Amino acid sequence: MMVAAAEARAESVLTMHIEEQTSWVQNFNPFDLGGRRQSTMDFVYEPLVIFNDYDGGKPVWRLATAYKFADDLKSITYTLRDGVKWSDGQPLTSADMKFTLEMMLKNPAVDTVGVGETVASVETPSPTEVKINLKDVDTHFPESLADFPVVPEHIWKDVKDPLAFKNETPVGSGPMTEIRRFTPQVYEQCRNPNYWDAASLKVDCLKLPQISGNDQMLALLPEGSIDWFGSFLPQIDKTYVGLDAEHNGYWQPPAETVSFQMNLKSSNAGNAEAFNDMTFRRAFSLAMDRTSMVDIAGFGYPVVNTHASGLPPRFDSWRNKAAEGAQDEWMAYNIDKANKLLDDAGYKKDGDGFRTTPSGKPIAFPIIVPNGWTDWIDAVQIAAEGLRKIGVNASVATPEYEQWQKQILDGTFEAVMNSRADGPTPFRGYFQSLSTAFAGRITSAPSRYSNPELDKVFDDYRRATTDEERKTLFDQVQVIVADNLPVVPVFNGPTWYQFSTKRFTGWVTKDEPVMNPEDHDNNRMRLVHLLRLKPVQ
Amino acid sequence: MRLSRRRLAVYCVAFLFAIVMNFAVPRMMPGSPVDSMIAQLGPRATPAAIEAIKARFGAIEQPIWQQFVDYVVGLAHFDLGVSVKYYPQTVVEVLGRSAGWTAFLVFTAIVFSLCVGVLLGAVAAWRRGGRFDSFVSPFSVVLIAVPPVIIALATLFTFGVTLRLLPVGYAYDPSLDPGLDFTFFGSVFLHAIMPVLTLSPYLIGEFQTTMRSSMISVLGEDYVTMGRAKGLSETAVMFGYAARNAMLPVLTNLALMLGAVFGGSIVTEIVFNYPGLGLTLYTASVARDYPVIQGQLLLMTIATLGANLLVDIIYGVVDPRIREGRA
Repeated sequence: MMVAAAEARAESVLTMHIEEQTSWVQNFNPFDLGGRRQSTMDFVYEPLVIFNDYDGGKPVWRLATAYKFADDLKSITYTLRDGVKWSDGQPLTSADMKFTLEMMLKNPAVDTVGVGETVASVETPSPTEVKINLKDVDTHFPESLADFPVVPEHIWKDVKDPLAFKNETPVGSGPMTEIRRFTPQVYEQCRNPNYWDAASLKVDCLKLPQISGNDQMLALLPEGSIDWFGSFLPQIDKTYVGLDAEHNGYWQPPAETVSFQMNLKSSNAGNAEAFNDMTFRRAFSLAMDRTSMVDIAGFGYPVVNTHASGLPPRFDSWRNKAAEGAQDEWMAYNIDKANKLLDDAGYKKDGDGFRTTPSGKPIAFPIIVPNGWTDWIDAVQIAAEGLRKIGVNASVATPEYEQWQKQILDGTFEAVMNSRADGPTPFRGYFQSLSTAFAGRITSAPSRYSNPELDKVFDDYRRATTDEERKTLFDQVQVIVADNLPVVPVFNGPTWYQFSTKRFTGWVTKDEPVMNPEDHDNNRMRLVHLLRLKPVQ
Repeated sequence: MRLSRRRLAVYCVAFLFAIVMNFAVPRMMPGSPVDSMIAQLGPRATPAAIEAIKARFGAIEQPIWQQFVDYVVGLAHFDLGVSVKYYPQTVVEVLGRSAGWTAFLVFTAIVFSLCVGVLLGAVAAWRRGGRFDSFVSPFSVVLIAVPPVIIALATLFTFGVTLRLLPVGYAYDPSLDPGLDFTFFGSVFLHAIMPVLTLSPYLIGEFQTTMRSSMISVLGEDYVTMGRAKGLSETAVMFGYAARNAMLPVLTNLALMLGAVFGGSIVTEIVFNYPGLGLTLYTASVARDYPVIQGQLLLMTIATLGANLLVDIIYGVVDPRIREGRA
């Protein structure tokens, strides 16, 4: 009887748009960051634990049910959920997690989370326990495993080259593991028959039509066939909500902080002298017309950031009021004040109207921004105009994205507008963009800032064991950053999220802002979001 | 059927030149596939992962002559390398996916435009100076001048978005599986209407203009006068005598226009999200996927050269002066 009832229920298919591609390629290899379908993480490979950044970074336990640091903080033991099965029915045990970690250690090309730098060795005291011995004390370690996929040893042990493996019919632990249909134009990913949390899962299949860009999206919207997506839609109230006001909705809360970053290790003597002078950076900040950047370049979707600490609004609960206020005066748009600041500091104008450093060297720099990122290019244009108004010879350069990235990593650029990858708590964004350890090694850390005082606070934070300790230390981080203004925050980009209640309900909305609502690959909470959804009866 | 040896030599030289250019141009551009491989990792790339990728793809810095030899040997085996964006797919797989759709679009557009353009050109020439001629012929010039992107957007907005008569993307309804049945063919037909209509105006204009002028010069020939003297009907003379021979310059022109048609197909495919070579080339360019760009350029070169060769051969068949070796 029960079975018959289940079969009688119509299948519920959720149509999503996660990534822009011109043709689908069947690749569900979680280690191939560039080539994997972006429905691989979370939906095929369940995370161990998700830290909800809209809930103070509180853990949502998935494959793991707990973790515990040893008293000396030199190791951490994860407890895995009992009775979890892979989609082919085999049990998921600590051996699988050990295997995955060791594969990453052996093969840096698939080390997508950086365990090569933190993990010394892995042990399995029991089928549900994984003990990870760390190279250094790092209480922040669980957050660094946020994007870690556990893969089944019985499948992957025979894979010769784990980066080139396309994993076309994946065996996974997540809710949607069965690839039912795969064509260049559309693919369907359906219910895992052995999903451990099947009781929460009301969606039977995900359907992902191939959509190559925003223009294509705009043309498709009148059909009303897409349930969950996150696209840039100009004048969204008209172009999307207006089509079907009863069902179409969106919520685009502010996301990462976008800042102007100067190459403090620039090989150009004049630029290096200016960039390393805090007075110059403050004048730079005063020349930023943030409101125009948001309204003109960003269609009003971003939100201005006028805090010298650059803390994103989503982390308001971490905000240290003492760090702000005093230094936030540098975050307004005030050309006169900026000019006066530079005049008093001895930045004299030479014959062509541009300023030189106090020691008389010329200052001139292009700000790089990837070609094709039109809204960002417009924002950089506005920044360059502001800088020229205060006698600073700034221009705009638009290299291709690969070149842009290469220049950042090689240190061959002068200035850049860039966002940083935030973690579930604000710590990761600051640590990876401002610590000496990461300086210039990843694209989130172009400025090559190095401040021993700040490094020490970061180190203490990674040894902290209680939330109070972390909060106190992070308060200090904000003070140091606001006082020194190593980068110039300008605005927070929007989170891209649109939905339709025509076929499904349970969407996260601004009235119930419980999690990051995005369906993109950078948001692990999308799994929990999926489990909230119910088909309309 | 006989092609002169000199013509064949020209084709060979052109082909070799294309191969060499194809090898040289991407290597003269800034950036490298390794960089774009790393760029795909995005902000989450760990330093160790970047090093590993470099070691894997970038360490094989061989001397340029060795690279060229490998490239030629690869070509001989139809091995164009591995795509960066769609790693680990090969270039041949990537292009194979899309070449058919572009060929289908271009071929359909050419056949459709030939029928329409030649007919309009012939009639305009037959009644030159008449009301039909003085409207259609200037209009053709307009058709040639309008950029395909304008036509594409106009059709998309009119028939696709506003009237919602025709599908706005894909080569066939994504919910169908390709098969030999009417539903599938119908869907392919429906999805091809707008792209074909976008490609056609330029072609129709070109064919009409060429046909008209070559027809006018043919109409003064003796055999046309003789046909009329024989008392044949207007249509019989027009199509049986004049149009047949006036077609030859149209065919020549077609081979020359092929490059422009490919250019138009790129824009068309991007606008209509049509999974052909144009869309692939666009993506590959944005992603700096040199192996794919290289393979694609080679394919287009071969297609253009091949079309010219084909026209040469057809000429030999249909032009009696060449057939009898009196050219």
